[in-house]
Amino acid sequence: MAGGGGGGEGEPEFQIAPMVDVLLVLLIFFMSITSAQVLRLDNSIELPVAPDAAKKENSKNEAIVNVKYVESKDAAEIQFESRIYDDPRSLIDVLKARGAADPTYRVVIRGDHRLAAVEISRVMNVAAEAGIANIAFSTLNKK
Amino acid sequence: MRRRKAPDDIPIGFQIAPMIDVVFVIMLFFMVMAGDVKVEHLLKTTLPGKTESFNAENIPDEQSITIQDNGQVQLNEEDMDSPTNPAMPNLTAQMMRLKQNSEASKSLMIVTVTAKEKARYARVIDVMNALSRAHITNVTFGVASED
Repeated sequence: MAGGGGGGEGEPEFQIAPMVDVLLVLLIFFMSITSAQVLRLDNSIELPVAPDAAKKENSKNEAIVNVKYVESKDAAEIQFESRIYDDPRSLIDVLKARGAADPTYRVVIRGDHRLAAVEISRVMNVAAEAGIANIAFSTLNKK
Repeated sequence: MRRRKAPDDIPIGFQIAPMIDVVFVIMLFFMVMAGDVKVEHLLKTTLPGKTESFNAENIPDEQSITIQDNGQVQLNEEDMDSPTNPAMPNLTAQMMRLKQNSEASKSLMIVTVTAKEKARYARVIDVMNALSRAHITNVTFGVASED
């Protein structure tokens, strides 16, 4: 009689199909965790390292402000939604409009670690003038 | 005379062994990549001036951390760690002790980080990381002007 398994006289056969299934599931798992955690940020910004900071949760209620380091000038370049703001004050109205619609709105500052603290402070002042008190600094878990 | 079979006539079944080899290699690649992925983290703060006012019985326990231009960190005007040490074990230990004291006295602990204008942003993050390690969440950050 066929089926039942075990107790037969013949050698148990190696089942290739379930092994392939398990392999594919493992492959999909590792592919998804690798691609989900890949950073989607400007490569020209070298973020500071803070391994003890909280992991960033995805949120739509935030403004991500990139603060690049311009080595030739030893100065900052502020970028928000692909637009460069030479005068950070022009960002106030944009943030004010966003913050007014949502009280939980926050500003995430992605600043280069080589910048002077005063450059980050300027962005914080812009957020303050736009009425947004929740500020977060973007960092990396490792170098 | 026997004729040689044309290659098109030979039935080629689906080869499982090379497929498993390839899947193994791809899986190994993603397993190695998964351990080395850089993940974005956040250090949260609230701007000063937006904090609620406190009544006379509930005065918060406020600590002040200053970051000098050369990276020297001072807790309540006392030097902590070397200016080049990003781990800041001394500051972390002190802040943990202060946090325990404030919890024992049931008072709210607020830490104000003030950096000099030319202090590096990386040093500010080092300090905030040390505060995060000490489980201190009420942190405000500002920059002191030169004059």
